Amino acid sequence: MSFTPEPGTPLAKYCSQTQPRIGDVLSRRSLGTLDAVTIGRYAMTIGAADPSHYDPAAARSAGYADVVAPPNMLAAVVEWGVGTPEAQLQPDGTPHDGDMPLGDGDLGLRVMGAGEEMELVNPVTAGTRVVLETTLEAVTPKQTRSGPCVFVTTINTFTSAQGAVLNRNQRTVVLRNPLQESS
Amino acid sequence: MTINYQVGDTLPPLKHTATSFQLFRYSAVTWNPHRIHFDERYAREEGHDGVALHSHLRAALALRCVAEGLGPGWRVTKVAYRLRKPVYAPADLAYTARVTATEGDTMTLELIEQQPSGEVGFEGTVSVGKTPGATP
Repeated sequence: MSFTPEPGTPLAKYCSQTQPRIGDVLSRRSLGTLDAVTIGRYAMTIGAADPSHYDPAAARSAGYADVVAPPNMLAAVVEWGVGTPEAQLQPDGTPHDGDMPLGDGDLGLRVMGAGEEMELVNPVTAGTRVVLETTLEAVTPKQTRSGPCVFVTTINTFTSAQGAVLNRNQRTVVLRNPLQESS
Repeated sequence: MTINYQVGDTLPPLKHTATSFQLFRYSAVTWNPHRIHFDERYAREEGHDGVALHSHLRAALALRCVAEGLGPGWRVTKVAYRLRKPVYAPADLAYTARVTATEGDTMTLELIEQQPSGEVGFEGTVSVGKTPGATP
């Protein structure tokens, strides 16, 4: 059943701003070269013990060119490179120009991850130069038990510099009105 | 190589206590400045019951259950999951994976996150295949 957010609400403004961009390639950029420390730190943080995340010799004996990233590491990193100056972050801390269009900060929308579908085509190893292309796939308003929401879906395709697909991910987040307007 | 798993088999559950330390480090390593994951006062202003676990951290823990349960020689090829409800640190979580299909050297498993209340907070499916393949 189709649902339209109440006119004038932040979710309605978000939809009017963002729905015309459905299908657009939002960005295509180089993320740089993955290094072993980044992979090891991610693995350490999630508690993974597999030595192929830390030890090049163990990774090679398992068939990889170098230490290999845990399956969802590329999907999980929010900002690549140096990131966003603090003064330019939105009130909730999210970057204004991130890969997921979250609306202008003055809308005050609340955001949370809602789900993801990941196709892990090739292993992601240290030394790989990674390119990310992001396409806006869907902006879907829904009425839920917790009130009106908008589900936003992007397709994030990570490739090597040589063009081999590493991950093809369909990422969905849910946006809600600011708390005082959510009822 | 013979697959030793059958439909209905379950991998050993991954029991994990998610702490605010882990959330801080996860925010740091993913360069994620979203305040609901590390600023409890702000998170509560947004209506949360504390600092919220990152959806990707929950997925990473579910995938650890698969990787550690199957052991080396298996590689995750596809994952799909959706979050049914948020979870806040500290939280004692249990991730389980149950084989739902096998075909040749591939398998599909159902993923579940059980929250401290006993409710399912996260559900998904994962496909795995033998042999790690080569770096492109």
